[in-house]
Amino acid sequence: MKQTILIVEDDQPNLDVMEMLIRKLGYEPVLISNGLEALEYVNKNPPSLILLDIMMTPIDGWVFLERFRNNAAMKNIPVIIFSAAPEVEERMTHIRDPCLGVLHKPVSLNELKDAILRFLPKP
Amino acid sequence: MERKITVAGHSISHTDIVRICVIISLTLSCIFITSISLTRHVETIYAQLFYFPILYAAYFYQRRGLFLAGFCAVIYEVLAYINIFPDTTGMIYTTSQAILFICIAAVVAYFTEKINSSETRFRSIFEKSLLGIVLFDQNTFAIRMANDPFASMLGYSRQELGTMTFARFFHTKEEQRRFFEFLGSSEDVIHFETAFISKSERPVWVNLSWSRIDENLVSCSVIDITQRRLAEQAAVENHQHYEQVTEHAPTGIVIIRDNRIVYTNPIFRAFTGYDADELYGMEIRLLVHPDDQSQFPAFMEVLDSQPSLPDRLVLRFRTKTGDTRLGTLFFTWITRMGSPAILVNLVDVTEHERLKETMLLDNERRRGTMNTVAHELRAPLQPLIGNINLLLQNPETYGVTEKIKEILAQCSLSVDREQQIIDQMLELSVLDAGKVPLKYISFDLPALLQSVIDDGDYASRADLAVTVPAGLTFEADANRISVVLDAMLTNAVNLAKPPRKIRISYTSAPEDTMHRLAIQDNGTGISSAKLDEIFNQSPGNGNAGQSERIGMSLSIAKKYVQMHGGFISVDSTLNIGSTFTIHIPKHPQNAEIKP
Repeated sequence: MKQTILIVEDDQPNLDVMEMLIRKLGYEPVLISNGLEALEYVNKNPPSLILLDIMMTPIDGWVFLERFRNNAAMKNIPVIIFSAAPEVEERMTHIRDPCLGVLHKPVSLNELKDAILRFLPKP
Repeated sequence: MERKITVAGHSISHTDIVRICVIISLTLSCIFITSISLTRHVETIYAQLFYFPILYAAYFYQRRGLFLAGFCAVIYEVLAYINIFPDTTGMIYTTSQAILFICIAAVVAYFTEKINSSETRFRSIFEKSLLGIVLFDQNTFAIRMANDPFASMLGYSRQELGTMTFARFFHTKEEQRRFFEFLGSSEDVIHFETAFISKSERPVWVNLSWSRIDENLVSCSVIDITQRRLAEQAAVENHQHYEQVTEHAPTGIVIIRDNRIVYTNPIFRAFTGYDADELYGMEIRLLVHPDDQSQFPAFMEVLDSQPSLPDRLVLRFRTKTGDTRLGTLFFTWITRMGSPAILVNLVDVTEHERLKETMLLDNERRRGTMNTVAHELRAPLQPLIGNINLLLQNPETYGVTEKIKEILAQCSLSVDREQQIIDQMLELSVLDAGKVPLKYISFDLPALLQSVIDDGDYASRADLAVTVPAGLTFEADANRISVVLDAMLTNAVNLAKPPRKIRISYTSAPEDTMHRLAIQDNGTGISSAKLDEIFNQSPGNGNAGQSERIGMSLSIAKKYVQMHGGFISVDSTLNIGSTFTIHIPKHPQNAEIKP
């Protein structure tokens, strides 16, 4: 069974291309464009990894991450923050989470692959 | 000097010898005359004659005078016994006379000794006193006596003073007139301060106290107070100077004693809106904003013990018009008019704080804007890059021909360049906001340099000569230094003329406090007019294109080096080339260095 990667992103063109890239890398993509819906989804279907956008509505990526990590069962699911916002790096200096990575948009296929391989074994 | 001779071990002056001769001859004469008088019954002469030697001896030699009186009394009594006995009345009379001799001698000796003792004491005081003492006639002001301290005070000898009048010493006619007025009041005067003029025409400040010895003679003690007067004058001058300084000081100055204002300068008055009279005597605490009054130091009320003062305080003040202003206060203990007081220096920081707040708000707003702009600029690049990657990696799936692959590769390069510009713009804006912490580590510089050269493929773009000691260690933020090196190498490659030659050398000596890494190119050089510009490029500042990107990367490099406490220097010669030297402290201050 393929490892699933949940992509939480509110930009449709991005979602479309990410779906193809993830699939190309051999993982099963799950696309959700709303943070609240994503929280609901992960409770029922914990993914292997989450690619998380930051600037979203109604809740942004940070709020999603906080609520997600509050669930003890989700503590060890890797999350890669996948954002174009420059504030991410500064915020990350205050967070101690071994299962948290960062990717700055835009990323190439190889960069995406390397980032995912840090947390997940080769599919 | 009095001449003396020694008789039987005793030193006797010639005056004494003469006196003794006079006394002996008088005594013998008296005995002889009295003897004859008694023999011939000349009653009116014999007893009184003995008073001459007795008074003489008692006056000059008080105790020996008494002995002489006793001797004369005995002789007189013996002569009377021989010539008068048994006349009882005569014997009583002569005995009374003999006793009277001794009594008169005793009285004369007593008073003479008392007078001599007083005079000795007076002499002693007069000669040995450290004060100047002068006796003068109050009608003619002629100096009768003056001691050495008085003479040396004015630079005259005592002989010279003996020919002078006391009135001539006054420095001015006005001082002399004042002295006459006080002297004419016929009261004894103490602590009359005036100025004399010395022999060398130098003013001498003196304190006079005088009293009358008799109707004409005045005894006056004179204390030299010139030094005290000079000190007072200096203090007054200092005070005037101090007032001048404070009146023209660019900051507010207020002096407080017993918690109340005793002085304010114009700047402080302008700060509070009150005038000097309104502020005088006011409790300074009342000027402080009610919310800040609790912070106001309690030491203001315990001046006597002079507790330590805070370095500075920033307090809000309530002005006369009800406005709130912000002042930084600096406290200093001073002595004002001989008493302790606190000098408070006030710097009006109202506008400065407003500006700082505005700048902070602006920075925050700018950061927010840049965050949004960056997001909006970067986000659309993601589908572009993603799709190009997919097309290039699966050409067969999407029917991509070789020609299309070339076009897609060019698109990919353009997207990379765009991303680089956006990243640099953002980095500069973040650096300007000053919110980038450095992560200090100890790292091997040659290794880092090599990785930068490899990543940027600089070895293929220019002839590189690297002279950096093996094992050279830097204590710095390795990531930022790598960005700096990359920017400097990109700049060198772009400035160099084909065939491009770049020399990288470490030029710091072991005793230097800074690392120095020089990057030298063989380019056309940079004119001095352009030197200042090359580090100050920002988006939109200059022509768009490669030079702008290099300018931004150099600006970022400069800021990174400055954040480390270093700087970048440029030495450039037209048509020869440029050398950019990075100076980084070898031992960074206040940096937590991780291995």
